[in-house]
Amino acid sequence: MAVRSGAYAGPALPIRIILWIFGIVTVIPFGLLLLTSIKSKPDLLKGAFVLPAYPHFENYLNAWVDGHFSTYFMNSVLIVIPVVIISIVLGLFTGFAFAFLSFPFKRTIFVVLTIGMMVPTEAFIIPLYYEMLYLNLINTYWVLILTQVAMSMPFSTLFMASAMRQLPVEVLEAAVLDGATRQQVLWRVIAPLLLPAVSTLSLFFFIWTWNEFLLPLILVNDDNLRTLPIGMLFFQGKYTVNTPVLTAGAVIVIAPIVVVYLIFQRKFIEGLTAGASK
Amino acid sequence: MRAPRPPASVLDHAGGGNLLYVLPGLLIYALFVFVPILAAVVISLTEWNGLGVPAFIGFTNYINLFADNRFYVALGNNAQFIVFYCVIPLIIGICLAGIISVVKQRERLVLRTLFFLPYVMPTAVLGIIFQWLYNPAFGPFNQFLKAIGLKAIALPWLGDFTWVLPAVGAVATWYFFGFCMVVFLTGMQRIDPSLFDAARVDGARGWQSFWHITLPSLMPEIRVVLLLTVIASIKSFDLIFTMTRGGPGNATLVPNIYMYQLGFQLNRYGYAAAVAIISAIVVFAVNFAIHQGMRRLDRTTG
Repeated sequence: MAVRSGAYAGPALPIRIILWIFGIVTVIPFGLLLLTSIKSKPDLLKGAFVLPAYPHFENYLNAWVDGHFSTYFMNSVLIVIPVVIISIVLGLFTGFAFAFLSFPFKRTIFVVLTIGMMVPTEAFIIPLYYEMLYLNLINTYWVLILTQVAMSMPFSTLFMASAMRQLPVEVLEAAVLDGATRQQVLWRVIAPLLLPAVSTLSLFFFIWTWNEFLLPLILVNDDNLRTLPIGMLFFQGKYTVNTPVLTAGAVIVIAPIVVVYLIFQRKFIEGLTAGASK
Repeated sequence: MRAPRPPASVLDHAGGGNLLYVLPGLLIYALFVFVPILAAVVISLTEWNGLGVPAFIGFTNYINLFADNRFYVALGNNAQFIVFYCVIPLIIGICLAGIISVVKQRERLVLRTLFFLPYVMPTAVLGIIFQWLYNPAFGPFNQFLKAIGLKAIALPWLGDFTWVLPAVGAVATWYFFGFCMVVFLTGMQRIDPSLFDAARVDGARGWQSFWHITLPSLMPEIRVVLLLTVIASIKSFDLIFTMTRGGPGNATLVPNIYMYQLGFQLNRYGYAAAVAIISAIVVFAVNFAIHQGMRRLDRTTG
């Protein structure tokens, strides 16, 4: 750090150049991915860093159609949307209860929820698999939706409850004095005020669900139900040699995440660090 | 985090209605998370191939586990991974945050976006991407090494018993350091600027004020980052699974990969569950140890 006499002058130019080089090196794997995804196989032999004569977008078509990425993409969307919505709605209910209501075993239930936040999924994936087998839910959308909603419950509850506790009490009291029922207070007063918290949480659930690997790996083995990361894994197993199409597939998996991240990055990072410092 | 004290709220009605707010979420959670957790504990006390009736065998799985060489190899590898998951990202993150915090705002935002990008990616897909990047025959990484005249060290990274763990670990470091930096950067904004002014009056130079003011003030962030990255390293599965499946040999075997092999490949579900339970206990223990250790540190320094 260059703290000179007087005001902060900022770091010297060489340090800034190093910072930028470091920043660019960090994202080089993604650059290479994009570059390779528009190459032909002969282009590939000319070297990893050589530009192709012209872009081969047909790799994307190959991944999308022959590589079944269209199916995987649809599955990811069909699972992410309900997971986010159900997790948020249930989180609003349980968060509301933990913030404002008294009910039996409140502390015990709180502890039970926090246990779920600490135990890794890997620890209970075996019984979960057999339970789902028993309930006839293996190879369904439902199994991926319900398990991921369940896993988001602890975080959703704590996040919502702490956001609700920060709301001004006077507003809630005024609403009750005006004769609003609890449902009305929750949906007409609290929910609109919590919009920033709700959108941050939706962002987290979107990214976590989109990226989830273990659950769809174990709970689904029908290719028509695979989500993008799993589809990518099995695609790689089948077509190891076709690197351009493989990288095009990888771009299809991460593109939505990158877009969402670039649009909402400030919100995402602030939400994450606020959650981390609690 | 402590359990919330029940606040006296105007919204709180005595009566049965309150429970209705908790039940839907709680039932789903219980059915798909908590019951399986309890079941995992029970299964770990049995011998079960997944088909027949589990045979209760008490703590035999755990006793066998403590004599199982592969399990110790997995634990040892995990300990080495902690260096790449926690220690190196933490050091890079804190240094970067220190430098970047004095860069102009707009430039800082762009750099932050670049450094943080890996952290939002699906680790499983990153594993597949890096498998290609590291490929000894046509991977870009070795092509780069050859191009700059370092042909001698263009190794088959993921096939080399010595280098596979650092090679996989480097991906974890790349994944986590931006996250560490962002958390530290936020922490630095909390520090009272007058502390730095006072230090400057006392003649403290850049590094001294970093060492004596910034670093101690960041203790809460360091604790959070340690906690999250250590737990992430114990839970590591996706990245290692997609890059090496634990190989070559047992070179990158970690408890979760071992659990997967035991359960889903060898059908030794009881034994696999015991491995999983031990990992979960380690997560709890580490959590507790970091909280305790940091509390002691807080007391001695402040």
